Amino acid sequence: MEIAYVAVIILFCLGIYTIITKKNLIKIVFGVTIVESSLILLLMLVGYKPDGTAPILDKEYEIVVDPIPQALALTTVVIGGSVTAVMLVMVIKIHRRYRTLNIDEIRKLRG
Amino acid sequence: MINIVFYLLLLFLIITAFFMVFTKDLSNSVITLPLFGAILVIIFVILQAPGVALAGAIMTAGLTTAFFVITINKTEY
Amino acid sequence: MSRLNEVFKKLYKIGLVVTFAYFLLFLFYDIHNLDNNRKRYLSAHYISEGVQETGAINLVASVLYDYRAFDTLGEATMILTAATVLAFLVPISKATTFGTTFKSIVKQTVKLILPYLAVLGTYLILFGHVSPGGGFVGGVVLSIIAILLTITYSVEFSEYIVKPDQKKLVEDIGAIGFVLLGLLGVFTGSNFLANGQAYFGTGNAGEVFSAGLIPFINVMIGLKVGAGLAIIFNSLIKEK
Repeated sequence: MEIAYVAVIILFCLGIYTIITKKNLIKIVFGVTIVESSLILLLMLVGYKPDGTAPILDKEYEIVVDPIPQALALTTVVIGGSVTAVMLVMVIKIHRRYRTLNIDEIRKLRG
Repeated sequence: MINIVFYLLLLFLIITAFFMVFTKDLSNSVITLPLFGAILVIIFVILQAPGVALAGAIMTAGLTTAFFVITINKTEY
Repeated sequence: MSRLNEVFKKLYKIGLVVTFAYFLLFLFYDIHNLDNNRKRYLSAHYISEGVQETGAINLVASVLYDYRAFDTLGEATMILTAATVLAFLVPISKATTFGTTFKSIVKQTVKLILPYLAVLGTYLILFGHVSPGGGFVGGVVLSIIAILLTITYSVEFSEYIVKPDQKKLVEDIGAIGFVLLGLLGVFTGSNFLANGQAYFGTGNAGEVFSAGLIPFINVMIGLKVGAGLAIIFNSLIKEK
């Protein structure tokens, strides 16, 4: 399971790279979504134990995975969706005012 | 056996993320987003987290894609 | 010369990101080397004592709605804030519709699906403490009913079926009901949002009517999340 941490690092850095280099505003929101997904994957990996069962204890159990990161991640998913909606409404507002989504031209228009 | 499936899914996850970022057409990357979410859901099920998998299946693969589609519909005309 | 400058800038950014990845590698190496069993007193306590203390066999629900219920109150406030910000940003104007109209196959199929969605959402909310699911997931499923009505028919029809004032009222009922259920713990002589410590009769673990306050808090969270996401989606559609 150690290689999975490398995957988390690649996804996180890909999201950061998208945020700092891409010109389109919608692509930047895609980058934020990728960063969120990688952090949720990191929480799941921290809570995982080998040969563990899911934290629903209706039968006999020996090893149970950690329930606290799952409780954190469950709210993070829903909150992340609503925050993404707020960002997209901001994008629509900017497009209605400046008639463009290119971030360089928006900076130029501000003077 | 489950380890091989897990590593293959991680590889697919990274490939879809790179395709989503580096493709030129914006509608291509929007259509790749539910694929990314679905692969993430299977990884959560393998990591023994059924509640998070349910939430991810509905939010990341469903509603967020609808938000992006509406935004592109309203900004490109 | 300016082309060389651009290439240099791009290489500079790529180098920054690669350096950042290199430092994250060391950080995660330390995280992975944490001793898995020795340093997690809290998780061990929740796993061994959680079912007896709260009566819910879904440990995620017992952490969310009993031990750490105060944090859940803050996280539910986030959705209220997002819905409020969107309702503030989007002016009350005439709704704009999509370019295409659907054929009758889509409309009949959606009409057929809607009752099953309502049953699925209610099941996920009410059985949140004995199976995977809970208020957050069930609320999202309930909000999909209003969203499907908006997409297939129009905003006017969707707001004729479920009025915007009704959605805001349902969301406020969810928010206020959560706080009132929390105050119930204060009146019985314990802490705010106490459930297992206040002796509400946790019942037999594994049945539907058990676990004290957790099913009621699930219902409140479900109402709040469902109404909030429906308001957010309709605001996004109305923005032209």
